[in-house]
Amino acid sequence: MSTEQVNGKVLKHGTQTRTMHWLHLVAFCILGLTGIGFYWDIAGIANIFGGPANASLVHRWTGVVFTAGPLLYILLNFDRFARFIDTIGSFSKEDFAWLKVMGGYLPFIKVDKVPAQDKYNAGQKMLGWMIIIGCILIILTGFPMWLWRHSISAAFLNACYNIHFWTAMIMILLVGGHFFLAAIHPKSRVEFSSMMIDGYIDAEISAHHNGKWFAELQKTE
Amino acid sequence: MTSFVEKEGMTRRQFFKGTGILFVSAVLTGVFAKMGFDVQAASDEYIAKRAAGLYSLDESMTLRKSHLNPEIAQIYKDFLSPGEVKPLTAKSERLLHTRYGSEIPALIEELKHPAENEAA
Repeated sequence: MSTEQVNGKVLKHGTQTRTMHWLHLVAFCILGLTGIGFYWDIAGIANIFGGPANASLVHRWTGVVFTAGPLLYILLNFDRFARFIDTIGSFSKEDFAWLKVMGGYLPFIKVDKVPAQDKYNAGQKMLGWMIIIGCILIILTGFPMWLWRHSISAAFLNACYNIHFWTAMIMILLVGGHFFLAAIHPKSRVEFSSMMIDGYIDAEISAHHNGKWFAELQKTE
Repeated sequence: MTSFVEKEGMTRRQFFKGTGILFVSAVLTGVFAKMGFDVQAASDEYIAKRAAGLYSLDESMTLRKSHLNPEIAQIYKDFLSPGEVKPLTAKSERLLHTRYGSEIPALIEELKHPAENEAA
């Protein structure tokens, strides 16, 4: 690897990916906040959105954005989506080795060298699947609660409410953990600017954190 | 400065994986919708059976209307509206109507002083 390459930049996330991530993030925050307000009947949260009735409307229509955003992205960027699914769907020996040492994130697990990773490390791959499954569950249970609440049976509606709530709780915790690792943790916070700002990350960091992917990029150069 | 950019496009394997996930999502949506329709049909069937059971039980009763029940009429004549069958008197209202929520403290007070209530 030449010095020039090491000092170079790697485009990790394209404009449309970043736009979709931002859109989904903002929608998720609004949905999470209003949802928590409804579940625990917190007047302060409902009042931010102009009272319970308006907060309910905001929750529903933000749910439409939450659903339509990724769908539109997949429609316009099917190749990116397919590559993403391929990456997070491929668990290699290195991924399992990464999980054994938890990527070197835990202070009590001593690691000399973290196994080389794809564009997304094993933890991100697992998060990716959990987010996909969580979103599908939340979307599938959310719309019947809105559109067919007066015509579907009480048992099915109750199941929708429970699945919606518990999936949302797990998703909020996952996204909290994701935010901590991607924006706060000193080992990986460099990732933040690549997804939230310009899409680029230092080649040196990429070579270190995503060695397998970086080697592939070099091959295609 | 050198910038490394991913090669655009996708391989055959990536295409099938992407399509596969969309297909699985569509199937999941279908399965979930089917579950919803099935639960709905089962609920409708249960409600219809329960209603039919209540109607048939009612049809088999000798006395089907409370105002035609001679025992009820006798209670009115003897106690609730002495000498006649007159519904909605103060006494029948007080004794027969269920009270809820904020009415409960007043009911407790009434029960504490049965003599005064008898006079009413």
